Amino acid sequence: MTVGPQGRRPLSFWILTAVFVLFVLFLYGPMSAIYILSFQGPTGGLTFPMRGVSLHWFGALFGQQRTGDFSGSFARSIILALIVMALTLVISLAAGLAFRQRFRGATLIFYAAIASLVMPGLFVGLGIALVCQVLGITPRWWLTGLGAHLTWTLPFGLLIMFAVFNRFDRSYEEAARDLGASDRQVLTAVILPILAPGLIAVALFGFTLSYDEVARSTLTVGARNTMPLEIYAMTNNVTSPALFALGTVTTAISFLAIAVALLTIARITRRRGTGPVRAADPAGAPS
Amino acid sequence: MTGTERRGDVALHEVTKRFGPTLAVDRVSLTIPHASYCCLLGPSGCGKTTILRMIAGHEEPSSGRILIGGQDVAGLVPAQRGTALMFQSYALFPHLSVRDNVAFNLRMRGVPREQRHREADRMLELVRMTAFADRMPAQLSGGQQQRVALARALITNPRVLLLDEPLSALDEFLRLQMRSELKRLQTDLGITFVHVTHTQPEAIALADLVVVMNQGIIEQAASAREVYARPRSPYVARFLGGQNVIMGKVRDQDGRHALLDGPGGALFRVPLHERRPRPGEPVWFAVRRDLIHLARAGAGAVTAENSLEGLVEAVEYQGSFVKVTLATATGEEFLVNEPEAAFFASPVARGDRALASWQPDQVHLLEPDRAGAGGSPSLTAAA
Amino acid sequence: MRRLVPYLQVAPLATVLLLFLVIPVGMILVVSFWSYDQFDIYPDFILDNYRYIFTSPVTFSIYLKTIYYAVVTWAITLVLGFTISYYLVFHVRNLLWQIGLFLLCTVPFWTSNIIRMISWIPFLGREGIFNQALLATGLASAPLEFLLFSDFAVILAYVHLFTLFMIVPIFNAMARISPTVIEAAVDGGAKPWQVVLHVVLPLSKTGVALGSIFVVALVMGDFFVVRTMSGGQSGSVASALNNEIGLLQYPTAAAGAVVLLVIVTLMVAAILRIVDVRRELAA
Repeated sequence: MTVGPQGRRPLSFWILTAVFVLFVLFLYGPMSAIYILSFQGPTGGLTFPMRGVSLHWFGALFGQQRTGDFSGSFARSIILALIVMALTLVISLAAGLAFRQRFRGATLIFYAAIASLVMPGLFVGLGIALVCQVLGITPRWWLTGLGAHLTWTLPFGLLIMFAVFNRFDRSYEEAARDLGASDRQVLTAVILPILAPGLIAVALFGFTLSYDEVARSTLTVGARNTMPLEIYAMTNNVTSPALFALGTVTTAISFLAIAVALLTIARITRRRGTGPVRAADPAGAPS
Repeated sequence: MTGTERRGDVALHEVTKRFGPTLAVDRVSLTIPHASYCCLLGPSGCGKTTILRMIAGHEEPSSGRILIGGQDVAGLVPAQRGTALMFQSYALFPHLSVRDNVAFNLRMRGVPREQRHREADRMLELVRMTAFADRMPAQLSGGQQQRVALARALITNPRVLLLDEPLSALDEFLRLQMRSELKRLQTDLGITFVHVTHTQPEAIALADLVVVMNQGIIEQAASAREVYARPRSPYVARFLGGQNVIMGKVRDQDGRHALLDGPGGALFRVPLHERRPRPGEPVWFAVRRDLIHLARAGAGAVTAENSLEGLVEAVEYQGSFVKVTLATATGEEFLVNEPEAAFFASPVARGDRALASWQPDQVHLLEPDRAGAGGSPSLTAAA
Repeated sequence: MRRLVPYLQVAPLATVLLLFLVIPVGMILVVSFWSYDQFDIYPDFILDNYRYIFTSPVTFSIYLKTIYYAVVTWAITLVLGFTISYYLVFHVRNLLWQIGLFLLCTVPFWTSNIIRMISWIPFLGREGIFNQALLATGLASAPLEFLLFSDFAVILAYVHLFTLFMIVPIFNAMARISPTVIEAAVDGGAKPWQVVLHVVLPLSKTGVALGSIFVVALVMGDFFVVRTMSGGQSGSVASALNNEIGLLQYPTAAAGAVVLLVIVTLMVAAILRIVDVRRELAA
């Protein structure tokens, strides 16, 4: 706070507010344009003006004509994202618990996770594809694709768990043990419920990052495309608003996941009467 | 824990705890009688919390034995020891209501919902928190949270209640209120309380047994009156306050008294009891602040045995008495608590010279500190 | 027994990283020395793939282009990210508002990068929304051609996609600055810009470093933004590698990947030399 709580806003506040508003417009403006354009009339094109309003292009997605294997890739992406979400949650939580103690190789694994985060996705894919080629394994979305996605979601999961455990008071566990809880009860009755907001954040990252993944997927999902790859392919050959309709559908799914996660976190914190605490702030994590 | 023997006496035998290279607790032996209120008193880092956590079973001793009710508790998990720990931060589960927090132990033991809620409500009544049963911990004040933590610990029906700095997070008013409430509970329940604190008045007010700790060892374990009036060592005298600690080197002794050379040419005569110090040996003794006679310079003061001359550094009015701080040749602050009337009969002011003197039979002889070197003045707890 | 617990707990993570990161990247290094023909790749130890990279006339210009993209994007996202974070942390007083606006900035992270990228197409095209607006208001007499399929479009998309990788770590670092430190600086006679320069910036430098690592690594490793937004007219190192992969020239691509990885690692190491972020990450 650069001025007292009751003071008048300085000029810099208004300038920065303007910058912020412009940035938000920059962030959301183009996106909103394609949501609107996806409702283009049947004769409409890739840009304004709107020639009527219709669901024509959404319908075109389900017809098999020019838009490729929409339903198949859509189902694959959702299933893969759910599997990645579940695995990210379990693996990150277990690793988070492990990192609270000292063990040999901790630093190495930590740096491997950070390297996984910074590594260009194309190279992860290339490497996996090369291993497959040498070993004679056919890349499949539920095998190599899954592994490639995990290299992207797990570092985020791990960093969120670090942030969450940092704020987790160990005396909760000791209190539970003192009150007769077994190891399993400490986990299920104390650690998991207390960490719930952070775990939901991990799940959100697991789902959305997998659902939208491109760079690691191109060489690892095999013959059957996931949704983002389908869209990527469409950008090269589809020049109708069907592309935008697909964008609207897939973004709606993402927003649904975000809304469910954030509302659940908000409900938990409100129930606990802890108000807006940073522990419930899922975006505190991508650092 | 519904054993036939419900004795809550705690015994430590030569208990040592190391954390890597650091020695947190060094061969401590201590017996806390059943149904007594024991305070572990000392500055932070003295090992008192480690002892508490070892009794609770959250740390295992590196060596030595701990017995509760005569039973060796090595390897027992916390819940099997018949102890309950109240955490400094209270550690109330943020996702559970007050009632569910209190009922947690019963839930872990598989007690049906109805019954455990009934039990919890009974405990909440004991700590006068019935009205808050459905609140979440975050919606309670510090004092209320503490009552809930107390109820949660007591529902396990412990024979020993362990309290880690239970009053430190409360404001002054609540602290005094909770202090007397803790004492009341301990008397009513007739179980052993072990209470860790770094505040001397808290320990004096509550404890049947005060254990003064320093650097991982016990300096003195005795009744409150004993540690206050008859501190064993310079460290205890300084930490408990109310005393001036003075050192002199033995010039001469006749078996009953010794004559000590003090700083700045002062001479002290102290009663020896069983001690027989050799000439030249340093001897520490304490004189209570309220048993010192203060004479104004120029009022016929004569430098004699058992007196120190000094410059008045500060005068603080304390209500029933006046606290006068002298700078003397001892290098430590020398404090005199003069009764109000006596002080104002002939007041002194900052900058005056004054002479403090005392009777030889009011001197209390000290043994050297067990931990570290004898005379470090760094831990003075000026009250 | 208890001492085994952390090893069991970390085993799944370690296994995934070993199978899908460490071994594959090791494989890239190995294959970069292999030979190939149009049908398959063959175990070998040749330096031809590297020789090709260092002798090809395209290599230098394509690296120059990639680094140009990285530096320009880095500079813009840094200024934007710092400004936005500063605004959110020090000018938005209500914590609920602060979190709400911060989420507003980060929500796009959880949506598809491809969709966000292609949403610029109806905006920037010859007949796009931007040109229509310019013509309608008379600010331009002819549609601007450079908007789409150009370096401008590529960098615009990068800034659009990657600024939040700057905002999040800088925001986190700034949120940790105690307000009393700012007040002490103001009491000490610092003007607002001096507070920013001498207090806020030094205290948020770990966030700046982390964000910089993200943005640089993301731009250097990108292949689809540059291809789509330049309309295939421009290329980056990664998009060239992607083309080689498409032609099944795996050993050449692998050698290229090794060289790019070394360069990215050097850039990251340079950032880490300036600012030690290890404590920040582990905390």
